[in-house]
Amino acid sequence: MSFARLQHGGPLRQTFIGLGLALFVLWSAAPVLWLVLSSLLEQKALIAQPPDLSFANFTFENFSTVIGAAAALGRGIVNSLIVALFSTALALALGAPAAYALARLSVPRADAISFLILATQMLPGIAIAIPLFIVISRLGLIDNVLSLGIVYLSFNLPIVIWILRGFFLGIPAGIEKAAAIDGAGTFATFWHIVLPISLPPLSAAAVFAFVEAWNEFFFALILTRQQAQTVPLVIANFAGQYQTVFGQMMAAAVISVAPVILLAVLFRNQIIRGFADGMMKG
Amino acid sequence: MPAIELKNVSKLFGPYTACEDVNLAIAEGEFVTLLGASGCGKTTTLNMVAGLEDVTSGDILMNGKRVNDLSPVERDVAMVFQNYALYPHMTVARNIGFTLKMRGLDPQEIKTRVEKVAAALELSTMLDRLPSQLSGGQQQRVAIGRALVREPKTFLFDEPFSNLDAGLRMKMRAEVKELHQRLGVTSIFVTHDQEEAMSISDRIAVMNLGRIEQLGTPEEIYAQPATRYVATFIGSPRIELAPGEITDAGSVKIGSITIPLSRRLKPGTKVELGIRPEHVRLGEAGIPATVRLVQPVGPSTHVTLDWEGGVLMASLPGFVRLSPGARTRAALDPDHLLIFERQQP
Repeated sequence: MSFARLQHGGPLRQTFIGLGLALFVLWSAAPVLWLVLSSLLEQKALIAQPPDLSFANFTFENFSTVIGAAAALGRGIVNSLIVALFSTALALALGAPAAYALARLSVPRADAISFLILATQMLPGIAIAIPLFIVISRLGLIDNVLSLGIVYLSFNLPIVIWILRGFFLGIPAGIEKAAAIDGAGTFATFWHIVLPISLPPLSAAAVFAFVEAWNEFFFALILTRQQAQTVPLVIANFAGQYQTVFGQMMAAAVISVAPVILLAVLFRNQIIRGFADGMMKG
Repeated sequence: MPAIELKNVSKLFGPYTACEDVNLAIAEGEFVTLLGASGCGKTTTLNMVAGLEDVTSGDILMNGKRVNDLSPVERDVAMVFQNYALYPHMTVARNIGFTLKMRGLDPQEIKTRVEKVAAALELSTMLDRLPSQLSGGQQQRVAIGRALVREPKTFLFDEPFSNLDAGLRMKMRAEVKELHQRLGVTSIFVTHDQEEAMSISDRIAVMNLGRIEQLGTPEEIYAQPATRYVATFIGSPRIELAPGEITDAGSVKIGSITIPLSRRLKPGTKVELGIRPEHVRLGEAGIPATVRLVQPVGPSTHVTLDWEGGVLMASLPGFVRLSPGARTRAALDPDHLLIFERQQP
């Protein structure tokens, strides 16, 4: 069997891989498709058993109602944007130098420190919910978007550090040596050389942090009241005490996931390269 | 006063000794090559001179001043790396000019100097290209340009041609030698390629196991190797050594064959005898041998012979017609015999 054939496999293998990928795409896309379908169906057609998918039941009314009552959703989107952008910017600003130090500078026990940083993620959020709530409320920062952004930093920062550290470890040492010979100190090397060549992993880390912050529900629920409510909470509010307007809830959800999907589409190349590069070493 | 001097310099990486008691004095404008197999400590030595590695013990002096604790910039060295180490996101112009920018030079001055260096290295038409858009040879020229633009006191080259193909390597070798002849900047060159070292250097330091085995001109290193290691490392085809013993008459006896020596050694001394392949002649006189392999390489023919002492290599001018298995006699030029005392186990 030729090397090329071994590498690419025969037609049977190709078909098997294609089918597997198709199944995976269907599995991943099904909830999103159902979300979009539900947002376009009338309530009675949606709750019918089985749901009535006839063309006559499709409507944009859910969207027009949600957009018409835009105050809550609009505020939610703005709050989510502020929280996600603030948390992402902070995670990158703190995470990139930390990752660089752990990867390339002579930090004693860098591996152990890196593991400890990752280990913080092993603690379930609920375990720190009560102490966190007490601290935030005593500081008078309940219902504040910026305090929520800082809380999100606690789970965004470790991931950002790990993605970037993996990439930084893979940068050839010769480039930094050349920079040292050229007269660049540690900070100048980081700023002029390392950061510009790290755009793919930085984009990947940024999108990851942004999506995490955008989707977060639990801490937003306990740390906000009205003013700082983020999109997931606004959507959850569509579930009323006596009735849940599924169509409107789904329409709001479609509107809220749009920025995230747009982000993923725009930065897809950087995200893939970023994660792939970051995984080379770690 | 030497431009660069290493005094008992050692470098340890944990329990591993990379360099041990390295002593080397390089005169102003001299071109010295550190030559050795991979892992012999030559790049570590260069990195210590550059200021990229700390010295574990010993001193490095530049123009008489101890520089152990100075940064690469303070030592005023420029370096060309094995993998070019160009900044992938910067154009050729920015790559060359980066060092000047770090020194706070005026952008106009940077532009002028970059253009001057680019013209000298035939890179003028490529200033706006990224390194990924250049061939290996062009990338290497950018790396050299980056070193040149600084006009430093010392050039350091870390196996700069090892990633180039043979033809380009020869061309770049000539360019670097020409550059050195023109500028006369003190240079240290690291390579594992003995031919490269021979062709480019004023002096060669042959390194083995973290130590300098021999320091000398290319001719000295080739014709009078100080150790068995230097003798076998230098030269192509490789020299073969045969074990023997010094007789009472001052000859060396290998098996049943006695070979007269031009220098006197203590009788009974266990030795190894070798000769460079070009000092072996085949004909009617000499030690009996059998042709094993004939390899014509153009200007000469390399002949591998079996004899009582083992294997003998002969390099004969031009194309030579010999058949494997043919019986012949090999005459060894007594003035060029190399003798090394054997280490007693």
